[in-house]
Amino acid sequence: MKKSVLTLWLLTTVSLLCATCIQAATNDAARVRAFAREPNWTGIWQSSVWLSDASGRPPGGTAQVRATEQLWRDPPYNDEWEATYRAALRDTVTIAAKDAGVTVCLRSFPGLMEGPRAFQVAILPEETLIVFESGQVRHVYTDGRAHPSEDDLWPTDLGDSIGHWEGDTLVIDTIERKSSEPMVPGAWASLLSEQAHFTERLRMVDRDTLEDRITIVDPVALARPWKMAVQFKRRPHMQRMLPYDCTENERNPVVDGKVTIAPPREKPKQ
Amino acid sequence: MDKKLSMIAIAGALLMALPAWAHHSAAIFDDQKSTMLSGTVKSFQWTNPHCWIQVLVPGEPDAVEWSVEMGSPSQLYNIGWKPKTIRPGDKIILQIHPSRDGKNAGLFISATSADGKPVVMP
Repeated sequence: MKKSVLTLWLLTTVSLLCATCIQAATNDAARVRAFAREPNWTGIWQSSVWLSDASGRPPGGTAQVRATEQLWRDPPYNDEWEATYRAALRDTVTIAAKDAGVTVCLRSFPGLMEGPRAFQVAILPEETLIVFESGQVRHVYTDGRAHPSEDDLWPTDLGDSIGHWEGDTLVIDTIERKSSEPMVPGAWASLLSEQAHFTERLRMVDRDTLEDRITIVDPVALARPWKMAVQFKRRPHMQRMLPYDCTENERNPVVDGKVTIAPPREKPKQ
Repeated sequence: MDKKLSMIAIAGALLMALPAWAHHSAAIFDDQKSTMLSGTVKSFQWTNPHCWIQVLVPGEPDAVEWSVEMGSPSQLYNIGWKPKTIRPGDKIILQIHPSRDGKNAGLFISATSADGKPVVMP
């Protein structure tokens, strides 16, 4: 009797597993049609601000980055936040300490989009993934869901993103970004509240250019919407994504508050 | 710094020493100076967050080792560099922004081989 029960249990389990496998391995017609409607953004992309030479810096150096990276610009603050911002900019001691003591491998949103790390875009019917070489991934859910409810939501570096397609434009809605993060590393005074609401319109402008039109609304901090358009260029020689791991061979330790240059290790971590 | 090093100091572009935030501040290098190093490649570290060229520059009594910082493998790969683009023993001429602290180190500007050709065509 026990053997029969065991046999029945095994048969049932195997049948269920097979059914699951078949379901997982096939796309229904609706999903195939959804895939077919998605635009083709294959390739490896990078913010046009950070198209660099072999030094790892853009040809115009840091001055060029400061001049072209839009998130370095003054946010359109309301009077209260403007006063706080100006005071923070005058606090050169704090800024210098932060400048000297930081090494940056990861960025928060939206600085991640305008930053130096290359990325790929994987478009599925249910979500679009923006996968950066640093390992950071933005998940933009396009399955019709809303943001999680208030008691299921907390601030994160990248916020919570949902989206929908308007033709070939991906419209992304992001909330719950950490307020402690500056817009970009280095712009320490440039902060937003946790009420900040981001809308992006991401589309392909031409074969080698993606564009992200970002509008930031923050009823606590901003006097008016903060708008910018970030462009990304195809990296023509990149046939595969290469990993970016800040810990692999770190030779710029911070000593006494200053970035230094360490001698080579005999054998860097491979 | 060894006075007998094969170096030519030329004026570089007048750039503000502002943080770059690619990985760390670029202020450790003097953007207003450029220095030429002529030597032999000891090793080429194809590593994150930066690639490094270790180069031995002739000096007395011994050669002096310099560390030359570059971008990440991804950044270099995109403009034509590969892990074996330069190899130990290669003769090389490097132009760098020298380190501000006087160490034998700098930020990569360009590289030419002994015959005067760019190591990687721009």
